[in-house]
Amino acid sequence: MLFLRRTLPLIIAFVMGMIGILVYYSPHSGAQALEQEVTMWNRIVFAFALVLGIYSLMRLHWGRVQRQQAGWAYSFLVFVGFVVMLIFAIYNNGQGPLKPQVIDSGPFVWMFDYVQVPADATMFSILAFFIASAAYRTFRARTPEAAILLVSAIIVMIGRVPIGGLISDSVPAFSQWLMAVPNLAATRGILLGVSLAAIATSLRIIFGIERSYLGGGEE
Amino acid sequence: MKEFLLNIDRRIIFIFVALGIIIPALGSFNLPIKPTKNVRSIYDTIEEVAAKNGTILISFDYGPGSFPEVQPMALAVLRHCFKRNVKVVGMCLWPDAVGLAQQAFDTTSKELGAEYGSNYVFLGFKTGFHSLVINMGRDFHGTFPQDLHGNNTTELPVTQNIKGLADFDYVICLAAGNSPDDIWIPYGQERYKFKFGLGCTAVMAPDQFPYLQSGQMNGMMGGLAGAAEYETLVQVPGTATEGMRPQSVVHLIIIAFIILGNVMYFLYGRQKGGVQ
Repeated sequence: MLFLRRTLPLIIAFVMGMIGILVYYSPHSGAQALEQEVTMWNRIVFAFALVLGIYSLMRLHWGRVQRQQAGWAYSFLVFVGFVVMLIFAIYNNGQGPLKPQVIDSGPFVWMFDYVQVPADATMFSILAFFIASAAYRTFRARTPEAAILLVSAIIVMIGRVPIGGLISDSVPAFSQWLMAVPNLAATRGILLGVSLAAIATSLRIIFGIERSYLGGGEE
Repeated sequence: MKEFLLNIDRRIIFIFVALGIIIPALGSFNLPIKPTKNVRSIYDTIEEVAAKNGTILISFDYGPGSFPEVQPMALAVLRHCFKRNVKVVGMCLWPDAVGLAQQAFDTTSKELGAEYGSNYVFLGFKTGFHSLVINMGRDFHGTFPQDLHGNNTTELPVTQNIKGLADFDYVICLAAGNSPDDIWIPYGQERYKFKFGLGCTAVMAPDQFPYLQSGQMNGMMGGLAGAAEYETLVQVPGTATEGMRPQSVVHLIIIAFIILGNVMYFLYGRQKGGVQ
């Protein structure tokens, strides 16, 4: 049992990790074919992960409904939305589940266009209101660094909208410079740091040093 | 009054923002939109593709949440392609982008008389993210044997000569997540060396500048402003151009509140140990 729970996953992680690294550097046709095959398996695993994700989501919300936790009605709505959309997807505008999904008309498309799109877009747009309130409350020039950040943010905010160009041609130009030079330098630094850390973590997983993904923490 | 200005109720700020959106949105004044170098670069590349009667791939990697920001880019780019007879292949790395991409194809193909199969093809969504891109790079027909409607991609005029990603004259990713920098650049552009352009949400744009400077990406439309610039280039003003009016006013309102907050902080707030 320990072999299945511990050793086998470690072997799979090591073998697949080494294949991923080695085939990247090898132009040999055999290596390329192997990579093509492995990535295809990976896509199949992704598809099963989607099913697992749905199961996990349903289980979580079913638990909340059963325990009648605070806000359980929202969890119930998850089931309503899921079941309704599943029925419409199977109905497939009268074509049935075995035909390619009809995506230009029918109840599934109607629900997507007139319920999901406006609801989701509305949730996202509400951010503008919270950003305005948060900016007023927190964006303070308390230190010289914060003052530089504040002035840069104001220039970028004006420079990214047409009013900036109306004030002066220099405003969008300076805004662009801020993005393309200081921002780029900082972003690249962060990117390099994150990438090196990702390589280190990947190697730890491949060589079995990092085992928290197995669920039991490090031994 | 001092206390009021030191700690303005959030509902008052919300009212200002709401008015800043509603009033300019109802108005009809136009603001001059000047396309930037990064947006013009995408436009120029599509013009080059048009000159050689080429094919581009558009990956729709966004959801309904970013619809107002990214969909105008999709519409503007598709209008440009169909107007200039550039063949378009559409695909999605996000499942909820399928309906949005279909809307964009329906709208623009009806407007410009583009025909399915000979002017554009839509492949829909497949799982796999980076694995899908690697597979597409080597074997396009093997990865997508059929389009979304069940037609064989080896028989459709737009896709029959595409063997791998390098056969596309240009790849554009319209994104609201990590698909350009985590998927398309490392597993697509870097390996198969195709020209790559990006349309993304405004919050993503600052993170993409290293790829522009390195040449892995040749152009970028960032946020609604980027979409408005592209609409200006294709001379079809749409929702992004209209959106520049409220966006400009709301930016000014936010700046005014930031300045007010700082003035009050320096006048009175520091004595109180900050504003709550």
